[in-house]
Amino acid sequence: MRALVVYCHPREGSFSAAVRDTVIDRLEASGAQVRLHDLYGQGFQPVLTGDEWSGYLACPANQVPVADQVADVAWCDTLIFIYPTWWYGLPAMLKGWLDRVLLPGVAFIMPKAAGETIRPGLHHISRLGVFTTCGASRWLTFLVGAPGKRTLMRGVGLLLAPRTRKVFAAHYLMDSAKAPALKAHLAKVARQIDKLTGNRPAAAPREAQPQ
Amino acid sequence: MARAFVLYAHPVPDSLNAAAHRVVVETLEGRGWEVDDCDLYAEKFDPVLSRKEREDYHDTAINTAPVQPYVDRLREAEAFILCHPVWNFGYPAILKGFFDRVMLPGVAFDLQEGKLSACLDNIRKIAAVTTYGATPMRAFLAGDPPKRLFKRAVWGTIRPEKMRYIAQYDMNNITPDGCVAFLNRVRKEMEAF
Repeated sequence: MRALVVYCHPREGSFSAAVRDTVIDRLEASGAQVRLHDLYGQGFQPVLTGDEWSGYLACPANQVPVADQVADVAWCDTLIFIYPTWWYGLPAMLKGWLDRVLLPGVAFIMPKAAGETIRPGLHHISRLGVFTTCGASRWLTFLVGAPGKRTLMRGVGLLLAPRTRKVFAAHYLMDSAKAPALKAHLAKVARQIDKLTGNRPAAAPREAQPQ
Repeated sequence: MARAFVLYAHPVPDSLNAAAHRVVVETLEGRGWEVDDCDLYAEKFDPVLSRKEREDYHDTAINTAPVQPYVDRLREAEAFILCHPVWNFGYPAILKGFFDRVMLPGVAFDLQEGKLSACLDNIRKIAAVTTYGATPMRAFLAGDPPKRLFKRAVWGTIRPEKMRYIAQYDMNNITPDGCVAFLNRVRKEMEAF
Protein backbone atom coordinates (compact mmCIF):
# COMPACT_ATOMS: atom_id res chain seq x y z
CA MET A 1 0.00 0.00 0.00
CA ARG A 2 1.30 3.43 -0.96
CA ALA A 3 -0.31 6.34 0.86
CA LEU A 4 0.01 10.00 -0.10
CA VAL A 5 -0.86 12.21 2.87
CA VAL A 6 -1.71 15.80 1.96
CA TYR A 7 -1.56 17.83 5.14
CA CYS A 8 -2.56 21.48 5.45
CA HIS A 9 -2.33 23.50 8.65
CA PRO A 10 -0.40 26.71 9.29
CA ARG A 11 0.64 25.92 12.85
CA GLU A 12 2.83 23.08 14.07
CA GLY A 13 1.40 21.84 17.38
CA SER A 14 -2.20 22.19 16.18
CA PHE A 15 -4.69 19.38 16.67
CA SER A 16 -4.49 18.74 12.92
CA ALA A 17 -0.79 17.94 13.44
CA ALA A 18 -1.80 15.35 16.04
CA VAL A 19 -4.26 13.86 13.56
CA ARG A 20 -1.49 13.75 10.96
CA ASP A 21 0.84 11.91 13.36
CA THR A 22 -1.88 9.40 14.26
CA VAL A 23 -2.66 8.79 10.59
CA ILE A 24 0.99 8.23 9.66
CA ASP A 25 1.58 5.95 12.68
CA ARG A 26 -1.38 3.75 11.82
CA LEU A 27 -0.51 3.64 8.14
CA GLU A 28 3.07 2.63 8.88
CA ALA A 29 1.89 0.08 11.44
CA SER A 30 -0.09 -1.59 8.67
CA GLY A 31 3.05 -1.78 6.54
CA ALA A 32 2.09 1.00 4.16
CA GLN A 33 4.66 3.23 2.51
CA VAL A 34 3.84 6.85 3.28
CA ARG A 35 4.71 10.08 1.50
CA LEU A 36 3.76 13.31 3.25
CA HIS A 37 3.11 16.65 1.59
CA ASP A 38 2.97 19.37 4.24
CA LEU A 39 1.65 22.23 2.12
CA TYR A 40 2.41 25.07 4.55
CA GLY A 41 5.77 23.49 5.37
CA GLN A 42 6.64 23.32 1.67
CA GLY A 43 5.43 26.87 1.06
CA PHE A 44 3.16 25.48 -1.66
CA GLN A 45 1.90 28.22 -3.98
CA PRO A 46 -1.87 27.64 -4.34
CA VAL A 47 -2.79 30.19 -7.00
CA LEU A 48 -3.33 28.73 -10.48
CA THR A 49 -1.67 31.31 -12.73
CA GLY A 50 -2.86 32.76 -16.03
CA ASP A 51 -0.18 30.79 -17.88
CA GLU A 52 -1.24 27.57 -16.16
CA TRP A 53 -4.87 28.21 -17.06
CA SER A 54 -4.00 28.92 -20.70
CA GLY A 55 -1.90 25.73 -20.87
CA TYR A 56 -4.35 23.72 -18.75
CA LEU A 57 -5.22 21.18 -21.44
CA ALA A 58 -1.69 20.72 -22.81
CA CYS A 59 -0.67 17.32 -21.36
CA PRO A 60 1.96 16.64 -20.16
CA ALA A 61 3.43 20.20 -20.26
CA ASN A 62 0.71 21.28 -17.82
CA GLN A 63 2.29 19.07 -15.14
CA VAL A 64 5.72 20.73 -15.21
CA PRO A 65 5.10 23.42 -12.55
CA VAL A 66 3.93 20.77 -10.03
CA ALA A 67 5.89 17.74 -11.23
CA ASP A 68 6.83 16.54 -7.72
CA GLN A 69 3.23 16.58 -6.56
CA VAL A 70 2.01 14.88 -9.74
CA ALA A 71 4.63 12.13 -9.39
CA ASP A 72 3.33 11.26 -5.93
CA VAL A 73 -0.30 11.31 -7.05
CA ALA A 74 0.66 8.82 -9.78
CA TRP A 75 2.65 6.74 -7.25
CA CYS A 76 -0.01 6.33 -4.57
CA ASP A 77 -2.95 3.96 -4.28
CA THR A 78 -4.29 5.69 -1.17
CA LEU A 79 -5.03 9.39 -0.81
CA ILE A 80 -5.43 11.09 2.58
CA PHE A 81 -6.34 14.71 3.28
CA ILE A 82 -5.86 16.32 6.70
CA TYR A 83 -6.92 19.95 7.14
CA PRO A 84 -8.98 22.39 9.20
CA THR A 85 -12.36 23.35 7.73
CA TRP A 86 -12.54 27.10 7.19
CA TRP A 87 -15.69 28.68 5.87
CA TYR A 88 -17.21 25.19 5.53
CA GLY A 89 -14.54 24.34 2.99
CA LEU A 90 -10.91 23.63 2.34
CA PRO A 91 -8.25 26.19 3.26
CA ALA A 92 -7.20 28.13 0.14
CA MET A 93 -3.83 26.37 0.37
CA LEU A 94 -5.43 22.93 -0.01
CA LYS A 95 -7.99 24.09 -2.56
CA GLY A 96 -5.08 25.42 -4.61
CA TRP A 97 -3.43 21.99 -4.44
CA LEU A 98 -6.53 20.53 -6.10
CA ASP A 99 -6.58 23.36 -8.66
CA ARG A 100 -2.94 23.03 -9.65
CA VAL A 101 -2.18 19.31 -9.21
CA LEU A 102 -5.36 17.47 -10.17
CA LEU A 103 -4.89 18.37 -13.82
CA PRO A 104 -6.20 16.97 -17.09
CA GLY A 105 -4.00 13.96 -17.88
CA VAL A 106 -3.33 13.49 -14.16
CA ALA A 107 -6.71 13.30 -12.47
CA PHE A 108 -9.22 13.37 -15.29
CA ILE A 109 -9.51 13.07 -19.02
CA MET A 110 -11.09 15.98 -20.82
CA PRO A 111 -13.85 15.48 -23.41
CA LYS A 112 -12.41 14.63 -26.83
CA ALA A 113 -15.57 15.06 -28.87
CA ALA A 114 -18.64 17.26 -28.63
CA GLY A 115 -21.15 16.03 -26.08
CA GLU A 116 -18.62 14.03 -24.06
CA THR A 117 -18.12 14.70 -20.41
CA ILE A 118 -15.07 14.73 -18.14
CA ARG A 119 -13.88 11.21 -17.32
CA PRO A 120 -12.09 10.08 -14.16
CA GLY A 121 -8.33 9.61 -14.32
CA LEU A 122 -7.39 8.36 -10.85
CA HIS A 123 -8.53 4.74 -11.14
CA HIS A 124 -5.24 3.57 -9.61
CA ILE A 125 -6.36 5.05 -6.28
CA SER A 126 -8.77 2.84 -4.36
CA ARG A 127 -8.73 4.32 -0.85
CA LEU A 128 -9.64 7.85 0.27
CA GLY A 129 -9.38 9.24 3.79
CA VAL A 130 -10.57 12.72 4.78
CA PHE A 131 -9.87 14.09 8.26
CA THR A 132 -10.89 17.56 9.32
CA THR A 133 -11.73 19.85 12.22
CA CYS A 134 -14.59 22.36 12.22
CA GLY A 135 -15.22 25.46 14.33
CA ALA A 136 -18.92 25.09 13.54
CA SER A 137 -21.20 22.53 15.14
CA ARG A 138 -22.15 19.27 13.42
CA TRP A 139 -25.69 20.61 12.99
CA LEU A 140 -24.63 23.88 11.36
CA THR A 141 -22.17 22.05 9.09
CA PHE A 142 -25.00 19.72 8.08
CA LEU A 143 -27.32 22.68 7.38
CA VAL A 144 -24.77 24.30 5.12
CA GLY A 145 -24.29 20.95 3.42
CA ALA A 146 -20.61 20.41 4.30
CA PRO A 147 -19.18 21.83 1.05
CA GLY A 148 -15.58 20.95 1.98
CA LYS A 149 -16.41 17.32 2.69
CA ARG A 150 -18.31 17.10 -0.59
CA THR A 151 -15.50 18.69 -2.60
CA LEU A 152 -13.20 15.86 -1.47
CA MET A 153 -15.43 12.84 -0.75
CA ARG A 154 -17.54 13.32 -3.87
CA GLY A 155 -15.69 15.74 -6.17
CA VAL A 156 -12.32 14.00 -5.83
CA GLY A 157 -14.08 10.69 -5.05
CA LEU A 158 -15.66 10.74 -8.53
CA LEU A 159 -12.16 10.58 -10.03
CA LEU A 160 -11.02 7.49 -8.13
CA ALA A 161 -11.51 3.78 -8.79
CA PRO A 162 -15.09 2.49 -8.71
CA ARG A 163 -15.94 1.16 -5.22
CA THR A 164 -13.12 3.13 -3.64
CA ARG A 165 -13.03 2.58 0.11
CA LYS A 166 -13.70 5.93 1.78
CA VAL A 167 -13.42 7.04 5.38
CA PHE A 168 -14.18 10.42 6.95
CA ALA A 169 -13.83 11.84 10.43
CA ALA A 170 -14.47 15.39 11.62
CA HIS A 171 -14.20 16.96 15.04
CA TYR A 172 -16.74 19.77 15.46
CA LEU A 173 -16.84 22.81 17.77
CA MET A 174 -13.05 22.87 17.86
CA ASP A 175 -12.81 26.19 19.67
CA SER A 176 -14.39 24.77 22.80
CA ALA A 177 -13.07 21.20 22.51
CA LYS A 178 -11.83 19.52 25.69
CA ALA A 179 -8.88 17.16 26.01
CA PRO A 180 -10.84 13.90 26.52
CA ALA A 181 -12.94 14.56 23.40
CA LEU A 182 -9.82 15.29 21.37
CA LYS A 183 -8.18 12.11 22.61
CA ALA A 184 -11.28 10.12 21.72
CA HIS A 185 -11.23 11.68 18.29
CA LEU A 186 -7.63 10.58 17.67
CA ALA A 187 -8.69 7.03 18.59
CA LYS A 188 -11.51 7.34 16.05
CA VAL A 189 -9.05 8.54 13.41
CA ALA A 190 -6.88 5.49 14.13
CA ARG A 191 -9.89 3.17 13.73
CA GLN A 192 -10.81 4.83 10.45
CA ILE A 193 -7.29 4.31 9.11
CA ASP A 194 -7.48 0.64 10.15
CA LYS A 195 -10.74 0.38 8.25
CA LEU A 196 -9.01 1.86 5.24
CA THR A 197 -5.94 -0.37 5.36
CA GLY A 198 -8.06 -3.53 5.97
CA ASN A 199 -7.34 -6.46 3.71
CA ARG A 200 -7.73 -5.01 0.28
CA PRO A 201 -5.13 -6.18 -2.24
CA ALA A 202 -2.89 -3.38 -3.45
CA ALA A 203 -3.23 -2.21 -7.05
CA ALA A 204 -0.30 -2.58 -9.44
CA PRO A 205 1.94 0.52 -9.72
CA ARG A 206 0.67 2.91 -12.29
CA GLU A 207 2.15 3.02 -15.77
CA ALA A 208 3.70 6.26 -16.98
CA GLN A 209 1.21 8.83 -18.28
CA PRO A 210 0.20 8.27 -21.90
CA GLN A 211 1.56 11.21 -23.83
CA MET B 1 -24.93 56.30 -4.91
CA ALA B 2 -25.21 52.67 -3.84
CA ARG B 3 -21.95 50.81 -3.95
CA ALA B 4 -21.50 47.31 -5.35
CA PHE B 5 -18.44 45.26 -4.39
CA VAL B 6 -17.57 42.90 -7.25
CA LEU B 7 -15.15 40.16 -6.30
CA TYR B 8 -13.63 38.67 -9.43
CA ALA B 9 -11.31 35.66 -9.59
CA HIS B 10 -10.20 34.51 -13.02
CA PRO B 11 -6.60 34.70 -14.23
CA VAL B 12 -7.21 35.05 -17.98
CA PRO B 13 -8.84 38.07 -19.69
CA ASP B 14 -10.11 36.17 -22.76
CA SER B 15 -12.11 33.62 -20.74
CA LEU B 16 -15.92 33.54 -20.71
CA ASN B 17 -15.80 34.30 -17.01
CA ALA B 18 -13.80 37.47 -17.73
CA ALA B 19 -16.42 38.47 -20.32
CA ALA B 20 -19.18 37.85 -17.77
CA HIS B 21 -17.28 39.96 -15.28
CA ARG B 22 -17.10 42.85 -17.75
CA VAL B 23 -20.85 42.54 -18.36
CA VAL B 24 -21.50 42.62 -14.61
CA VAL B 25 -19.44 45.77 -14.08
CA GLU B 26 -20.75 47.61 -17.15
CA THR B 27 -24.37 46.73 -16.50
CA LEU B 28 -24.27 47.71 -12.85
CA GLU B 29 -22.57 51.01 -13.69
CA GLY B 30 -25.19 51.61 -16.38
CA ARG B 31 -27.87 51.12 -13.75
CA GLY B 32 -26.36 53.73 -11.47
CA TRP B 33 -24.30 51.58 -9.11
CA GLU B 34 -20.90 52.75 -8.02
CA VAL B 35 -18.84 49.63 -8.65
CA ASP B 36 -15.82 48.71 -6.56
CA ASP B 37 -14.26 46.16 -8.90
CA CYS B 38 -11.92 43.90 -6.96
CA ASP B 39 -9.90 41.74 -9.37
CA LEU B 40 -8.11 39.34 -7.03
CA TYR B 41 -5.57 38.20 -9.62
CA ALA B 42 -4.79 41.77 -10.76
CA GLU B 43 -4.46 42.89 -7.14
CA LYS B 44 -2.20 39.88 -6.45
CA PHE B 45 -4.28 38.90 -3.45
CA ASP B 46 -2.44 36.43 -1.22
CA PRO B 47 -4.99 33.74 -0.26
CA VAL B 48 -2.89 31.90 2.30
CA LEU B 49 -4.01 32.42 5.89
CA SER B 50 -0.74 32.62 7.83
CA ARG B 51 0.15 31.06 11.13
CA LYS B 52 -0.09 34.48 12.84
CA GLU B 53 -3.51 35.11 11.32
CA ARG B 54 -4.67 31.70 12.53
CA GLU B 55 -3.51 32.49 16.05
CA ASP B 56 -5.26 35.89 16.03
CA TYR B 57 -8.33 34.63 14.17
CA HIS B 58 -10.83 35.03 17.01
CA ASP B 59 -9.36 38.22 18.47
CA THR B 60 -11.63 40.79 16.83
CA ALA B 61 -9.47 43.67 18.11
CA ILE B 62 -6.57 42.73 15.84
CA ASN B 63 -7.65 40.03 13.37
CA THR B 64 -8.46 42.47 10.54
CA ALA B 65 -5.06 44.22 10.55
CA PRO B 66 -3.42 42.25 7.70
CA VAL B 67 -6.43 42.76 5.39
CA GLN B 68 -7.97 46.04 6.60
CA PRO B 69 -8.44 47.63 3.13
CA TYR B 70 -10.48 44.62 1.99
CA VAL B 71 -12.57 44.68 5.16
CA ASP B 72 -13.32 48.38 4.58
CA ARG B 73 -14.38 47.73 0.99
CA LEU B 74 -16.77 45.00 2.13
CA ARG B 75 -18.28 47.22 4.80
CA GLU B 76 -18.95 50.02 2.32
CA ALA B 77 -20.93 47.82 -0.06
CA GLU B 78 -24.68 47.47 -0.45
CA ALA B 79 -24.31 44.70 -3.00
CA PHE B 80 -21.77 41.87 -3.09
CA ILE B 81 -21.22 40.02 -6.37
CA LEU B 82 -18.89 37.06 -6.86
CA CYS B 83 -17.65 36.37 -10.36
CA HIS B 84 -15.57 33.22 -10.63
CA PRO B 85 -15.05 29.85 -12.31
CA VAL B 86 -15.66 26.60 -10.42
CA TRP B 87 -12.58 24.40 -10.35
CA ASN B 88 -12.67 20.91 -8.89
CA PHE B 89 -16.08 21.56 -7.35
CA GLY B 90 -14.93 24.56 -5.39
CA TYR B 91 -13.83 28.16 -5.54
CA PRO B 92 -10.44 28.97 -7.07
CA ALA B 93 -7.93 29.11 -4.21
CA ILE B 94 -7.51 32.87 -4.59
CA LEU B 95 -11.23 33.36 -3.90
CA LYS B 96 -11.42 30.77 -1.13
CA GLY B 97 -8.56 32.63 0.53
CA PHE B 98 -10.64 35.83 0.52
CA PHE B 99 -13.18 34.01 2.69
CA ASP B 100 -10.45 32.54 4.90
CA ARG B 101 -8.60 35.83 5.44
CA VAL B 102 -11.16 38.65 5.06
CA MET B 103 -14.57 37.22 6.00
CA LEU B 104 -13.44 37.08 9.62
CA PRO B 105 -15.17 36.84 12.97
CA GLY B 106 -16.29 40.40 13.75
CA VAL B 107 -16.39 41.22 10.03
CA ALA B 108 -18.72 38.67 8.45
CA PHE B 109 -20.02 36.80 11.48
CA ASP B 110 -19.78 36.27 15.20
CA LEU B 111 -19.13 32.72 16.27
CA GLN B 112 -19.91 31.82 19.87
CA GLU B 113 -19.93 28.15 20.86
CA GLY B 114 -20.61 27.24 17.27
CA LYS B 115 -23.58 29.63 17.07
CA LEU B 116 -23.43 32.16 14.25
CA SER B 117 -24.78 35.66 13.96
CA ALA B 118 -24.57 37.93 10.93
CA CYS B 119 -22.44 41.10 10.79
CA LEU B 120 -22.52 42.53 7.27
CA ASP B 121 -25.80 44.44 7.69
CA ASN B 122 -24.75 46.93 5.02
CA ILE B 123 -25.12 44.35 2.21
CA ARG B 124 -28.66 44.05 0.86
CA LYS B 125 -28.11 42.05 -2.31
CA ILE B 126 -25.79 39.23 -3.30
CA ALA B 127 -25.14 37.39 -6.54
CA ALA B 128 -22.75 34.80 -7.92
CA VAL B 129 -21.87 34.66 -11.62
CA THR B 130 -20.03 31.45 -12.23
CA THR B 131 -18.83 28.99 -14.87
CA TYR B 132 -18.47 25.22 -14.39
CA GLY B 133 -16.52 22.69 -16.43
CA ALA B 134 -18.85 20.04 -15.02
CA THR B 135 -22.23 19.19 -16.47
CA PRO B 136 -25.23 19.93 -14.21
CA MET B 137 -25.52 16.17 -13.53
CA ARG B 138 -21.90 15.86 -12.45
CA ALA B 139 -22.17 18.95 -10.27
CA PHE B 140 -25.34 17.50 -8.72
CA LEU B 141 -23.61 14.17 -8.05
CA ALA B 142 -20.82 15.99 -6.25
CA GLY B 143 -23.41 17.92 -4.23
CA ASP B 144 -22.44 21.19 -5.92
CA PRO B 145 -20.28 22.50 -3.04
CA PRO B 146 -19.74 26.05 -4.38
CA LYS B 147 -23.49 26.53 -4.80
CA ARG B 148 -24.10 25.34 -1.25
CA LEU B 149 -21.39 27.60 0.09
CA PHE B 150 -22.99 30.57 -1.62
CA LYS B 151 -26.71 29.87 -1.19
CA ARG B 152 -26.42 28.67 2.38
CA ALA B 153 -23.25 29.93 4.08
CA VAL B 154 -22.89 33.31 2.36
CA TRP B 155 -26.64 33.86 2.41
CA GLY B 156 -26.76 32.84 6.06
CA THR B 157 -24.03 35.23 7.13
CA ILE B 158 -25.41 38.20 5.20
CA ARG B 159 -29.19 37.56 5.16
CA PRO B 160 -29.71 39.73 2.06
CA GLU B 161 -33.04 40.83 0.64
CA LYS B 162 -32.07 39.44 -2.74
CA MET B 163 -29.87 36.57 -3.91
CA ARG B 164 -29.12 35.35 -7.44
CA TYR B 165 -27.02 32.35 -8.50
CA ILE B 166 -26.22 32.62 -12.20
CA ALA B 167 -24.31 29.57 -13.41
CA GLN B 168 -23.12 28.26 -16.75
CA TYR B 169 -22.39 24.52 -16.64
CA ASP B 170 -20.53 22.23 -19.06
CA MET B 171 -18.06 24.85 -20.32
CA ASN B 172 -16.10 22.21 -22.27
CA ASN B 173 -18.98 21.76 -24.69
CA ILE B 174 -20.28 25.32 -24.90
CA THR B 175 -21.00 26.78 -28.34
CA PRO B 176 -20.46 30.42 -29.35
CA ASP B 177 -24.25 30.86 -29.20
CA GLY B 178 -24.21 29.39 -25.72
CA CYS B 179 -21.62 31.97 -24.64
CA VAL B 180 -23.75 34.81 -26.01
CA ALA B 181 -26.84 33.42 -24.30
CA PHE B 182 -25.00 33.22 -20.98
CA LEU B 183 -23.72 36.79 -21.25
CA ASN B 184 -27.24 37.97 -22.11
CA ARG B 185 -28.58 36.17 -19.08
CA VAL B 186 -25.95 37.85 -16.89
CA ARG B 187 -26.86 41.25 -18.39
CA LYS B 188 -30.58 40.75 -17.76
CA GLU B 189 -29.99 39.60 -14.21
CA MET B 190 -27.76 42.59 -13.47
CA GLU B 191 -30.24 45.02 -15.03
CA ALA B 192 -32.91 43.70 -12.68
CA PHE B 193 -30.56 43.42 -9.70
